[in-house]
Amino acid sequence: MFGAGGINPVSTQQKQPKTLGSPLGYRAFYLLIRSGGRQAAYGLLYFVVAFYILFRPQVRLSCRPYLRHRFPTAGADANWWHSYRMVLDFGKVLVDRAVVGMLGPDQLNVTLHGREQLLEIRNRRHGMILMMSHVGCWQVAMSALNFLEEPVHMVMHQDDGSLERHYYEYAEQECPYRTIDPRGFLGGTLEMMGVLKQGMILAVMGDRLPPHERNVVTVDFLGEAVALPFSSFQLASATGAPIVVMMTRKSAGDCYEMELIREIRVPQGLGRKADAYRPYVQQYADALAGYCRDNPYQFYNFFDMWNNR
Amino acid sequence: MTTKEKLKQILVEDLNLEDITPEEIEDDEPLFGEGLGLDSLDAVELVVLVQKHFGVEIKDMEEGRPALQSINTLAAFIEDKQE
Repeated sequence: MFGAGGINPVSTQQKQPKTLGSPLGYRAFYLLIRSGGRQAAYGLLYFVVAFYILFRPQVRLSCRPYLRHRFPTAGADANWWHSYRMVLDFGKVLVDRAVVGMLGPDQLNVTLHGREQLLEIRNRRHGMILMMSHVGCWQVAMSALNFLEEPVHMVMHQDDGSLERHYYEYAEQECPYRTIDPRGFLGGTLEMMGVLKQGMILAVMGDRLPPHERNVVTVDFLGEAVALPFSSFQLASATGAPIVVMMTRKSAGDCYEMELIREIRVPQGLGRKADAYRPYVQQYADALAGYCRDNPYQFYNFFDMWNNR
Repeated sequence: MTTKEKLKQILVEDLNLEDITPEEIEDDEPLFGEGLGLDSLDAVELVVLVQKHFGVEIKDMEEGRPALQSINTLAAFIEDKQE
């Protein structure tokens, strides 16, 4: 259940996420979802998360970098609680994804805030870069963008073990987005430009540094410097496409919200020097920090973003 | 100035290539990775620069991949589009 793209027990971004849990554990959750629905799976989750927090120190260590910045004055006891809440909420998101996959998309309600603004941006026909983050459950919320009637091209690794692809295959649903593999020719850059030049939608993750990424700029995030990639901002400058910062949150048991937080307009012709993009990357980091203030347990980057070595 | 010469000048001046002059760039030298060592950010800039200086648009991967191999391939692509 604690799977790909999630808890990374190591502290650097270059190492691969390590999956917790076991096939038997997955089956137990799937069985509970089938027999008792989401609440039954949540019931087991409370105990499983407690076990991991108490007896798997690497799980607490994975939470620590973020919690140390989000709750800088918290003591040891409070940090245990924060770690528990953070992993529990992450587990609920994974359960919800499994529920949708097994029982259908009508099991969750997704509300979109910013629909009219998105339509207005789409109608400009300059393309748009949806800047997503590892918050809430972006996979569930992507289906809320169908009204745009434009294919969304998601930049993501197309590993055979990709949880995202399995999610839709298992659900026998059409994947609401196409993928561009950043390991392709020139990092998929030409494909991305092609998408934007045709006025379509490109979706990227703004808060995670791909391995060996050199094109980074340091900005402030929750009080300390982090390195974030600026390639998407350069694409925006080259093509004239705006960056649209979207965040998702689990707002209640079966309810998710997807919100357009901010439109970032990057001037054209900024070239390729990192410093030129810092103010715009900072706008994104500020939006993400605001989200973390409002939703402290729904930020799921389980590695040390602040370790810039 | 030929298309190749102009391309080399653009590479050095607009992409700020250091320690190399336009004359030192070989026509068949790979632009990316080994060779000139350009990266994906340079690719974005190069696409923009080709449009700006030659009025030729590299629309997508199908066009861009073969065109962006070397000065030879890029010049041939530009001249083909300009005809």
